[in-house]
Amino acid sequence: MKAPVVEERGVVVIGGGPAGLAAALGARRAGAEDVLVLEREHRLGGILPQCIHDGFGLFLYKETISGPEYAERLAEDAVREGVLAETGAMVLDLTPDRLLRVNSAGGYRLIKAGAVVLAMGCRERTREMIEIPGTRPAGIFTAGSAQNLVNLQNLRIGNEVVILGSGDIGLIMARRLTFEGMKVRGVFELMPWPNGLERNVRQCLRDFGIPLELSSTVVEVRGRDRVAGVVTARVDEFFRPVAGTEREVACDTLLLSVGLIPENELSKRAGVELSPLTGGAVVDETLMTSVPGIFSCGNVLHIHDVADWASFEGFEAGRHAAGFLVCGAAAGPRVRITPGENVRYVLPQAAASGAAGLELSFRVTAPARGMWVTARGAATGASYYRKKFARLVPSEMQKIKIRKAVGEDIEVACHG
Amino acid sequence: MDDRLTCILCPIGCELEVSRVGDKFEVKGNECDKGLAFAADEVLHPKRNLATSVPASGTTARMISVRLTGGVPREMIFPILAEIAKLRPALSVRRGQVLIANVLGTGVDVIATRTLLF
Repeated sequence: MKAPVVEERGVVVIGGGPAGLAAALGARRAGAEDVLVLEREHRLGGILPQCIHDGFGLFLYKETISGPEYAERLAEDAVREGVLAETGAMVLDLTPDRLLRVNSAGGYRLIKAGAVVLAMGCRERTREMIEIPGTRPAGIFTAGSAQNLVNLQNLRIGNEVVILGSGDIGLIMARRLTFEGMKVRGVFELMPWPNGLERNVRQCLRDFGIPLELSSTVVEVRGRDRVAGVVTARVDEFFRPVAGTEREVACDTLLLSVGLIPENELSKRAGVELSPLTGGAVVDETLMTSVPGIFSCGNVLHIHDVADWASFEGFEAGRHAAGFLVCGAAAGPRVRITPGENVRYVLPQAAASGAAGLELSFRVTAPARGMWVTARGAATGASYYRKKFARLVPSEMQKIKIRKAVGEDIEVACHG
Repeated sequence: MDDRLTCILCPIGCELEVSRVGDKFEVKGNECDKGLAFAADEVLHPKRNLATSVPASGTTARMISVRLTGGVPREMIFPILAEIAKLRPALSVRRGQVLIANVLGTGVDVIATRTLLF
């Protein structure tokens, strides 16, 4: 049998969304000659083409544009700057030594990459993952799939809708479905605070008088062939439904906006270490994963609330992937960066010992007002960062920069 | 303080405290100058952008997404949506192409937000 031909490539980016396209641009701008983006959809941009609302691009393009515009501009930038982008190309497997098995228009093929950037984005959590009891009728959608059906496929998904979860896509869809003549009965959120951005609570719910009920959930779905209603209930501090607070809400559609999960199936195949806190890869300050030459950025690394930040992370990952082609991975001692009090996670989780100018991304666990964010040395207790924040909420990712060189493990915390 | 607002001009979402002092507004909490104008507008006359999508002429689901070039008074949202719903843009459409100029006299245009070639 003839051995299959292996196509040799420089930087291969898996996923052509806001992070992947930026990663490809970052790699080109850092001097990589051969940069290939593999996108499984037939259109570049990832999830952006269906995000038709405005609010994108403020940081990258210095103006507020819609998702499709952001996607087209970034794709045009990438192609103009010599990135090769292939749509309809699905990566089936990735090995630790960066061999990719790809199914594409030309058929099945093998690609050996000098460096790989993971930019596969995320998936939505489903009804099954949050285990809502009741019947199994038609009319239950994740918010993102509803967005796809309405914005890209011109379908009417129902008449009266209840939304479980106050993630940004759920809030955006509350407004979108109101525009399409649907009646949104209410948004129910398990936590005592909204899970989406404040601006979306205001402009998507309050503008249209859509009720937002916090510390509430859906405890049952009713209906045989089609959703006929849901039963909601208030929850206690341990998120258990409170008996006697059940209320039936008539509706024919239930939308779920209950969280996003980084899509790391390929990362696992490649042996990339994942963090239980983010669901994404464990990375160092160059966004390199535990597998040398494999980098990660965007929503596959951790969930972002703004596409621009996914792109900025992409530029960095691409730049470092290009560097890896030339220099390989840096050896030497490492420090660990861990979350402390009221910090859900912090990225990167590791850095080269002595690195200065570290940029950290983190999210708080619970809303905080007038609190200090600090980074302290685990061994010496030395202060590496200290700043007071007027307002911190879990739905908004924060970025801080540590100017000093970090020569020991540090912990990032938020406290009074 | 008269009102607590969330600035919606960008994803930072500054929390603004607006106080009326005579015929002027005093604003606290804004991280940029745009927040000042937003706060005054939001108290006196809130403005919003809007986005929707319409099928291209002769198709059922080759969707062209559209938005406005700027904010309009909030009460104009549904009248403008009704105007946009009548649109069936002919292919090809380019990103940024004006589909309705000065929609309902608001001074803003309805533009395509994607490129869709025939």
